[in-house]
Amino acid sequence: MSDASGRELALDVRGLTTEFRINGRWYPAVRDVSFALKRNETLALVGESGCGKSITALSIMGLVPKANGRVAAGQVLLDGRNLLALSEQQMEKIRGGAIAMIFQEPMTSLNPVLPIGFQVAEALRYHTDLSESEAKARALELLQHVKIPSAARRIADYPHQFSGGMRQRVMIAIALACNPRVILADEPTTALDVTIQAQVLALLAELKAETGLAMIFITHNLGVVASIADRVAVMYAGDIVELAEVGELFRRPTHPYTEALLASIPRVDRDAGDLKPIPGQVPPITAMPAGCRYADRCPLREPRCTQESPPLSPLADSAEHFARCWVRAGTGGSAA
Amino acid sequence: MTVAPATRETGALARFGTALRRHKMASLGGGIVVLAALSAIFAPWLSPHDPLEQDVLLRLAGPSADFPLGNDSFGRDILSRILWGGRVSLYVSTASVLIAIVLGGAIGILAGYVGGLFDRIVMAAMDVLLSFPTLVMGLLVVAMLGPTVGNLILAITLTAVAPFARIARAPTLTIKERDFIEAGRALGFSNLRIMIVHILPNVIDEILVMASLWLATAIRTEASLSFIGLGVRPPTATWGGMIREGFENILDQPLLAIFPSIAILVVMFGLNMLGDGLRDTSDPRLRHE
Amino acid sequence: MLTYIVKRLLVGVPTLLAVLTVVFFFVRIAPGDPAFIILGDQASPQALAAVRHDLGLDQPMLAQYADFMAMVLRGDLGNSLVTHQSVWGEVAKVLPYTIELTLTALAIGTVLGLPLGVLAARRRNEFIDYAARFLSLLGLSFPAFVSAILLLLAFAIELRWFPVISEARANDPMSRLSALALPAVNLGLIMVAYVMRVARSSMLGVLGEDYIRTARSKGVPAGIVVWRHALRNALIPVVTVVGLYLGVLIGNSVLTEIVFNRPGLGKLIVNALNQRDYTMLEGLMVIYAFFIVIANLLTDLTYGMVDPRVKHQ
Repeated sequence: MSDASGRELALDVRGLTTEFRINGRWYPAVRDVSFALKRNETLALVGESGCGKSITALSIMGLVPKANGRVAAGQVLLDGRNLLALSEQQMEKIRGGAIAMIFQEPMTSLNPVLPIGFQVAEALRYHTDLSESEAKARALELLQHVKIPSAARRIADYPHQFSGGMRQRVMIAIALACNPRVILADEPTTALDVTIQAQVLALLAELKAETGLAMIFITHNLGVVASIADRVAVMYAGDIVELAEVGELFRRPTHPYTEALLASIPRVDRDAGDLKPIPGQVPPITAMPAGCRYADRCPLREPRCTQESPPLSPLADSAEHFARCWVRAGTGGSAA
Repeated sequence: MTVAPATRETGALARFGTALRRHKMASLGGGIVVLAALSAIFAPWLSPHDPLEQDVLLRLAGPSADFPLGNDSFGRDILSRILWGGRVSLYVSTASVLIAIVLGGAIGILAGYVGGLFDRIVMAAMDVLLSFPTLVMGLLVVAMLGPTVGNLILAITLTAVAPFARIARAPTLTIKERDFIEAGRALGFSNLRIMIVHILPNVIDEILVMASLWLATAIRTEASLSFIGLGVRPPTATWGGMIREGFENILDQPLLAIFPSIAILVVMFGLNMLGDGLRDTSDPRLRHE
Repeated sequence: MLTYIVKRLLVGVPTLLAVLTVVFFFVRIAPGDPAFIILGDQASPQALAAVRHDLGLDQPMLAQYADFMAMVLRGDLGNSLVTHQSVWGEVAKVLPYTIELTLTALAIGTVLGLPLGVLAARRRNEFIDYAARFLSLLGLSFPAFVSAILLLLAFAIELRWFPVISEARANDPMSRLSALALPAVNLGLIMVAYVMRVARSSMLGVLGEDYIRTARSKGVPAGIVVWRHALRNALIPVVTVVGLYLGVLIGNSVLTEIVFNRPGLGKLIVNALNQRDYTMLEGLMVIYAFFIVIANLLTDLTYGMVDPRVKHQ
C-alpha cells in the first residue's frame, strides 16, 4: 500500500555526490545517492553518525559548508528544476519556502538574541508579501499550531526561556512557516527526552497528515523509523545500501548491514547508544576500500566484494526493494 | 577504578610542536624571538663597541662603516646599545612573566580548587589589582620604590599576576568537578597532589599561550617606563631610554629614535606572531583551519 | 533599569575603596619623605616637622588613613603638595583634553575595528583576511610611544600637516581639532588592531553556530544573516574587550600625551611622580579607578542591551 504509483514526486535526488577536502584532497562523503520522495510520503534516512545522511540533507538545501565542502555531482529536482544548478540568490528563494529543514539541536539552533516570534516571522519576510503585522499574526498562528502553550504571551520571549522540546516546536513552526512541500528533519528528536520525543513525533505526523507535505526524516534510531516512516533508506559510509518500504525492511532486511542494525536493537524505545556494536569500524573517509564498503565487517564477504563495488539493485522478487550487495541482491553476475 | 592519567601535558607540548610546524606565522615569530634572545644573551660578544663608550666627536653621527647604525648624543655606538638594551628588556620581561605565571597560576588553581569564601576574597583582591591601568601601576611602583631592575620586575609582575590567576582558575573550576578528580579524592590522594598532578597539566596549556602574549606586554611596559624616565637608570642602555633620547634629538637626528624603535617592533611582532599561532592551535573552534 | 545601574555602581564601591586603601598605604610605606621634597634636603628639622604636622604626617598611620578616606568620601581630594592648588582644580583643567582624546580613540577603534573584523571573518583565508590579520598583529606590536613618535616624525615634522606640539587654543575649534588629530589617530589605530582581532575571531565562532545555519535554511540572504543574526552575538566578546581595553587606553594616552606634549592626566601624573606629589598621585589614582569602575558598569549595561540572557538573570 505504500507505493501508490500514481502520486507525483515531491523531490527527486539523482546521483548526488558530495565531497570534502581533507589535507588538500577531495573525498566523497556522500556517493552517488539517488532516491525519490513522493507527495505525503516520509522517507527515513538511517545510519550511524558520519554515514552521510546529514550531508545528504545539507546538499539538498545547498548548505554544505563552502570552505571545505562541495556538491560534486548529481541533481536535486524539485518541480523539474535542478536545485544544484541554481545560484545562491535563487536558492535563497527556495530555502525556507518550498523546502525547509529542522535541525537536531533545538538548544543551539535558535538565535539566542532574537525573540522567537521574530525568528518565525522572519521566514515569511523573504518568501511572502505579508506585511510586518500580518507576518506577526501568522507567526502567532504557527506557534499555536505547534502547540506552544500561551503562545500569544510568549511570542516576544527569547529561546533561553523555553525548554528543549518547546524550542524544537518553535523550529518546526519556522520550518512550516511558508507551507513547504518538503521538510528535511535531521534527527529532530535525538536531543530530546523520550516523552518529549514522542510528543514531537506525534506533532510531525499530525502536521504531515494535515498538509500533505513530504518529509525526509534523518535518524539513527530504528524505533523512531518504525513509527514515522513510509519508506527507509539505510546509509553506510556515504552509500545507500538498502532502500525499501518500512514494513518490508523490518520483515526482510536484506543488506547484511541492515540485518546487523536490526539485530542489535534490544528494545524499540532504546537509543542507538545502547545498540550492540557491529564488529569492526566504518572505514575512514580518506581510506575507502575499492569494493563494497561494508566488506571488512561483513560475515557474508566473498572475494568479489573486496574488488568491485556492488550496485544498488532491486531484489529478484520485489521491484521496490533495493539492496547494494553482491551476495543478497545479486541481479548481476551469477544470478543472471 | 582507574584514575585518568594526566597525559595532557605531553599533549600540550606536542601541540606546541605541531603549531610551530604547521603555522608558518608562529614559526617565523618563534624564529625571531629565538634570534632576539640569542643576540641579547651574546651581546657582550656580538657588540662591536662598548655600549657606554662616549666619543664627543661622533655626537649624533649617522651610520658609518665602523658604527653601522650611527652614534647617539654622547657619541655612543647605537648598534651595541641596542644589543645590550635587549638584555635588559628580555631579562626584565622574562623574569616578571615567569614570576607572574608561578604566582598567578598558584593563586588561580588554589582559589578555584578551594572555592567558597577563600575564592571570593582572593579573586576580589585580583579585581582590585586589575583596577589599576597596567602602565599607571608600573609608574606608581617604580616611582615610589626607585628605578631598579628588581623594582621593574616587581611592577610588571604585579600587573600580570591577576590575569594569570584568572586564566588558571577558570579551567580548575570545571576540572575539579570531573570524575577523575572525585576518584582521586576517593583514593585518598592529598589535595596538593591532585592540584599538581591532575589540575596543573590541564591549566598549563592556556597559561603558556598567554605567556607569549604577556611577554610582549611586559616588554612594552618596560620600554614605556624607560621612555618616561622611570626605567633602569642611564647610562645603562635600554630600548625605551634610547628612544627617549632619540625623541629629544628628533629634529637633529631622527635615526636615533628609529633604530631602537625597529628593535622593539621586531621583537614584539615576533612574540605576537608566536602567541597568535599558539592560540590558534589551542582554541578548538579555530584549530581546524 | 535604574535600580540595576545603582546596584552595579554600589558593587563598584568596595573595589574603589580597596584601590584607595592600596594606594594610600603603598604611598606611605614607600621610602621618601614628602616634607623633604617640599622643602629640599637643606631644610631645618623644625621646618620639616612643621610641614609634617601641616600634612598630618605626624599622626598615626591609621588616623591618617581615616582622615584620608573621610576626605575622599566627601569628594575632597586635597591640595597638591607642590602647587598648593586643589587637586580637583588641577585635574579639572586638563581632564577635558584626556577625555576628548580617549573618546575619539575609542570611536576610531570601534568604528573601524568592528567592520574590519567582520569583513576578515567573512572572507576567511582570503587575501583580505590575511592582510587584516597581518596589519592587526603589526598594530599590536607598536608601543604607543613608538607609533606616536613615528606619526609625529612623518606628519608633523616631515610633511608639516599637523602641529609638532599640540598646544591648542582651547576656544579655537580648528586648532583644537588639528591638535587632536595625530594623538587620536595614534591611540585609535592601536585600538583598531585589538578590536579587529576580537571581532574576527568572535565572528568566526558565531558563523559556525547552528542558529546561523537555521537562519540560512529559512532563506535569509547571506548579508542579512551576517548583520542581523551573527553580529549581535559576536558583539558580546567584543564588548568585553573594549571594556577591558580602557586600562590599556589610559596607559597609552599617558604615553601619547607625553610625545605630543599634550595637556592631560598623563602629564599630570608623570609630574606628580617626579615631584613625589603624594596628594596629587592619590587623587589621580582615585580618578583612574573611578574610570575603570564606570567602564565596567557601561560594559555590563551594554551586555544587557546585546544579550537578552543577561537581562533575565
